[in-house]
Amino acid sequence: MRKSLLVALAAATALGCLPAIAEDLITSDRVGPSDAPKKMVFRMTGDGPSSTDPTWAAGYTKLYTDFINNHPGWQLELQMMTGDISQEQARMLEQAKAGHAPDCAAVDSFVLPLFKQAGVLKSLSPYFTKEEIDQLFPFVRDGITGKDGEIYAWWWSTDLRVLYRNKEIVPNAPETWADTKAAALQSVEAGMEGMLFNGSRYEGTAFDWLGNFWGQGGKLVDDAGKPVFADADNRDKFVKAVDYYRDLVESGAAPRRVATIGSYDDLNAAAAASTTALFVGGNWQYRQLENSMDPEEFAKWTFSMLPGITADQRSTGTGGWTVAAFSSDPEKVEMCATLAREIYMGPANALQEQLPTRADLYDKYDVFKSEANQTFAKALKVGQARPGVLIYPEISNQIQIMMGKVLTGAAATDAAVDDAYKAALDAYARL
Amino acid sequence: MSASAMRSKLPFLGAAVRHNRVPSPYPWLMPVILVMGLFYLYPVIDVFRYAFTDLTLLGGEGRYTLSTFANVLTRPELPQILWVTFVFTAGSVIGQQLIGLAMALVVVRSEKRNLFGTTILRTTALIAWVVPGIAGGIIWKMLFNEAPFGGLNSLLRLMGMAPVQWLSDPDVVMWSVVLSNVWRGTAFSMVVMYAALKAIDPSLYEAAEVDGASGRQKLFFVTLPQLRPAILVNMILITIQTLNTFDAIISLTGGGPGRATEVLSLYTFNVVFRNYDLAAGSVLSILMLVISLGLALVYAAFLPKDEKA
Repeated sequence: MRKSLLVALAAATALGCLPAIAEDLITSDRVGPSDAPKKMVFRMTGDGPSSTDPTWAAGYTKLYTDFINNHPGWQLELQMMTGDISQEQARMLEQAKAGHAPDCAAVDSFVLPLFKQAGVLKSLSPYFTKEEIDQLFPFVRDGITGKDGEIYAWWWSTDLRVLYRNKEIVPNAPETWADTKAAALQSVEAGMEGMLFNGSRYEGTAFDWLGNFWGQGGKLVDDAGKPVFADADNRDKFVKAVDYYRDLVESGAAPRRVATIGSYDDLNAAAAASTTALFVGGNWQYRQLENSMDPEEFAKWTFSMLPGITADQRSTGTGGWTVAAFSSDPEKVEMCATLAREIYMGPANALQEQLPTRADLYDKYDVFKSEANQTFAKALKVGQARPGVLIYPEISNQIQIMMGKVLTGAAATDAAVDDAYKAALDAYARL
Repeated sequence: MSASAMRSKLPFLGAAVRHNRVPSPYPWLMPVILVMGLFYLYPVIDVFRYAFTDLTLLGGEGRYTLSTFANVLTRPELPQILWVTFVFTAGSVIGQQLIGLAMALVVVRSEKRNLFGTTILRTTALIAWVVPGIAGGIIWKMLFNEAPFGGLNSLLRLMGMAPVQWLSDPDVVMWSVVLSNVWRGTAFSMVVMYAALKAIDPSLYEAAEVDGASGRQKLFFVTLPQLRPAILVNMILITIQTLNTFDAIISLTGGGPGRATEVLSLYTFNVVFRNYDLAAGSVLSILMLVISLGLALVYAAFLPKDEKA
């Protein structure tokens, strides 16, 4: 009797401890045992176990658990970035220059040139094969490669901008700016607030809109990295693209409140509340809409390539996230590369349906064979990344300021464009 | 007790007293000097040093130059930034001072009458004060949201009124930002005014009543003159606080549309963290320091002489 009691007690204790052990392996700021001899600090975005999407959080929890089990003796200290990515990246750059950067971190692809220029990143070339690097899309490979031919980050996901629409109200995909205006006005007649897009002081404002400029063949910078977006060759294209948005607002095809929208969540909210039938958003929002809407409601939504001034002059902005190493410890640099490879290069793409940067991964994972992802992949062919030059953040800043003035009617398009161009040139001269 | 008797009682002070000297204050002040120097003075000196360089966050050692000052102070956008800062600061300071004073008067009055709800009023105002700037900005962004489901516009529609373009109209947006800042900062003014009101000698009111003064006369001829030093000190504090405010604005408007709400502190933040220009940010920080000190001196000039001493 006594023996069986002891056995029962031991079993109960063991069972009670199991969840505790499982919980202990992943906390909000740590992966792996707290007493592990080796530790790597990883600063990350929401693409991890703390994702706000429960499905993704569960998926990442499993990926990270498997990862740490495969690498005994290691602990990952997780540092979460806030939503203000520009500020987070600037702070991290400052910390890296002072020698206080995390060992490994998520670096937004559009600021990667700044980190490369500052010389704070460690080469990841030894940890990826030539075949793996060659599989990367050319704009991705160029983006991560330094002047010395080494790769300084692993760009694991890319994204693009598309035009979402409610098929019940806008049955056909608008292909031109004129089609878009007509469709938006039609949605206003149906009681909607018109077409929505980011238009406030926010990086997305510039980036989502740039496809309209690039589609006409416009160039932001020349080969030396100098702003040329409003020089003799580009000014007309730039003004036309700005006037497209201006006309949407002035005609009532878009509400003036677009000048206050600075988050893709605002666009999701409007779609979920059925107050809009047309908006410019990112490919990742497709899954977000599915997760936030009833199936019948989600079935009404689809997307198409961003329209152009003509149907054959179309483009879209492509961005994405990289993983880069800052540590001076080669073992941690290798661990960082391993993390990028085992969690982010493929598994995370499949989990979040974030578009991979390697052509072969589209065939490897079934999720990328869906009609939606095939359409995204097709649109990537006209995709264009932001120029990897130091002046880009200031060009973007000036576009955001210009857009605010134009959309609210505070300035004429020509004057606003000229002001933005002059400010960008002045900033370039100071670099 | 004679001096000689005291010397015999306090032998350790003997030498100093004999030579008519006080003990050196430096051993006592050194800890404070060290802490102030390390945590306050050193960063300020560094800001001045950076301002005379062309340092950026992008790399390079930088060199010493005066050109950063010339470049920053002649930027075409600076006059507009300063004007926006002036409107935001003046609106916020006046709003916070007036509403804070009014609330303090109501609280003191209702305490005297033992009215129900005094504590609730005081606590409610203080809750707004302890809300972090970013959170305050997000709260107001939801309220000012111009979507059909936006907070304040939904209320206006319920009342049959036309919606307001709180954040997208360049002529309205500044006042929306001022409103959110007044909401957040009024509690501080209320606390300062409340303490000052409590310190007024009740005999002054008794004398005024004997003289037959009305409530309005008591306010203008007793309360406000007695509050003058507190009002000026409060205005110095909230002016400096408002000049440094950028967190609430960045989450509410980001400085837009255009530059309609880009105050000097936010502009400085953008220059450093978006343009990576450390030297220019340092020059702008010095400009903010000069403006704050200048305004503090102007306010101080109105302080009664004995208060200044």
